[in-house]
Amino acid sequence: MSSAAVPTSPGIELSKSRMLSNPKLDQWICFWSIPVFYVLFGIIFVIFGRIMPPPTPAMATADVVAFMTSPYLSIAVVLLALSLGIYALNSGLMLTQMKRMEGVSPVLRYGYIAVLGVGGLPGCLFPGYMFALGAFRPEYDAHIQVMLYELGFLCFVGSLGCFIIQYTLFAIAVFLDKRQLFPKWLAYFSIWTLVTELVAAPVFITQTGPFAWDGLLAFYQGTVIWVAWQTCLTFYLYKAIKEQPIEELGLPMQPNEL
Amino acid sequence: MSHSSITYDTDTGFTEPNPTASGSAPVRPNTRLPGQAAMWFFVLGDLWIFTCYFACYAFDRAREPMAFLQGQHTLNQDMGAFNTILLLSSSLLVAWCLKAARKQEYTQARQLLMMGGASGVCFLLIKAVEWYIKIDAGLPEISGQFFIYYFMFTGLHFLHVSLGLAILTLAYLELKKATSGNLAFVESGAVYWHMVDLLWIIIFALLYLM
Repeated sequence: MSSAAVPTSPGIELSKSRMLSNPKLDQWICFWSIPVFYVLFGIIFVIFGRIMPPPTPAMATADVVAFMTSPYLSIAVVLLALSLGIYALNSGLMLTQMKRMEGVSPVLRYGYIAVLGVGGLPGCLFPGYMFALGAFRPEYDAHIQVMLYELGFLCFVGSLGCFIIQYTLFAIAVFLDKRQLFPKWLAYFSIWTLVTELVAAPVFITQTGPFAWDGLLAFYQGTVIWVAWQTCLTFYLYKAIKEQPIEELGLPMQPNEL
Repeated sequence: MSHSSITYDTDTGFTEPNPTASGSAPVRPNTRLPGQAAMWFFVLGDLWIFTCYFACYAFDRAREPMAFLQGQHTLNQDMGAFNTILLLSSSLLVAWCLKAARKQEYTQARQLLMMGGASGVCFLLIKAVEWYIKIDAGLPEISGQFFIYYFMFTGLHFLHVSLGLAILTLAYLELKKATSGNLAFVESGAVYWHMVDLLWIIIFALLYLM
């Protein structure tokens, strides 16, 4: 068999150059940043920070001080401060794909990324810095630690408005899209996510029960629905990139194109 | 789906193969889903979410029945009952509207839909008045777990009714240009509206009566 004599290295070279010349490489890099981001998110909030699932608002002062001064919490905040920006890649990808929708006003996609950019501040960075401050000065009075703890969690669970608008904008865009880039049921799914997010509103007035920030309705139900929604969205984003025709990629970029 | 071979049963809304068009094809019970499948997906999921809310409510109520009963007594049952009647009539009007639309009597269908929508608006107004009276009575009157449930449930339902009114408005516009007998969107709107009605009946029973 003469083909057996052919060295394998050109094949590898070929696949490498094919990967680099893939016209969707930029989008794929952004796409794979999504799982990377959420794995980091898990490491930061669940494993190191113990922020998710959230401890109770009714925690004893000594426990709050122990939580706030945990060295693992500061590691989590450092990681968060370093990696939150990765989410911008996801936003860029969403903008690129939402641009392909037909019959949808550009206002919706601009609103979508703008609100995501704003939502990350109260939802992630603010609580992170509250917790960081607690760990930075363990000698703070216990009451101050409790205040930082509560401020942190109220920001983390109570950053509702931005995400509500995010889901609304996405749902409207999918409903209007004549091209059906995303299935209609995903738009309805966004409305559930919106509804379960709304239920977290009483975290500002309750300390125990299902509406507290560690409550069954305010936290767990919303989180389960959100994880399911994000998973479906990521899957359909993958499909949308895969099925995007090459000629539609618009290379080189046209003037006034965003 | 060719319209020439399909007839609508104007009473049930089910479509059946037209024996004259399809020759000797046997008439089978029709299993067509009214409305869009995505809407059913939404409605079933939404009902599941609300079921979780109701289960939580029942659980909390069982823990402190006296406090919940006390809260329940302060609610205005008459207003609640009137709202129930309003929403039930509205649901009936929307069902009639669909029936008329299937007979291709679009003008009548639009009038019925308009009346159904108007009942929905009245529902929202009465709800707003009820909230106003509650809030006006002072914060101590509306503190406690029961009132968080009360405001969350009625608030979420209010949102659902508002969304329903938006959908009914779109259905109205759809009926204005309807000539082909494609009623999928109007049917979806009706399905949603009936769900809103169903949710209210449960909320009414749980909060006002139980």
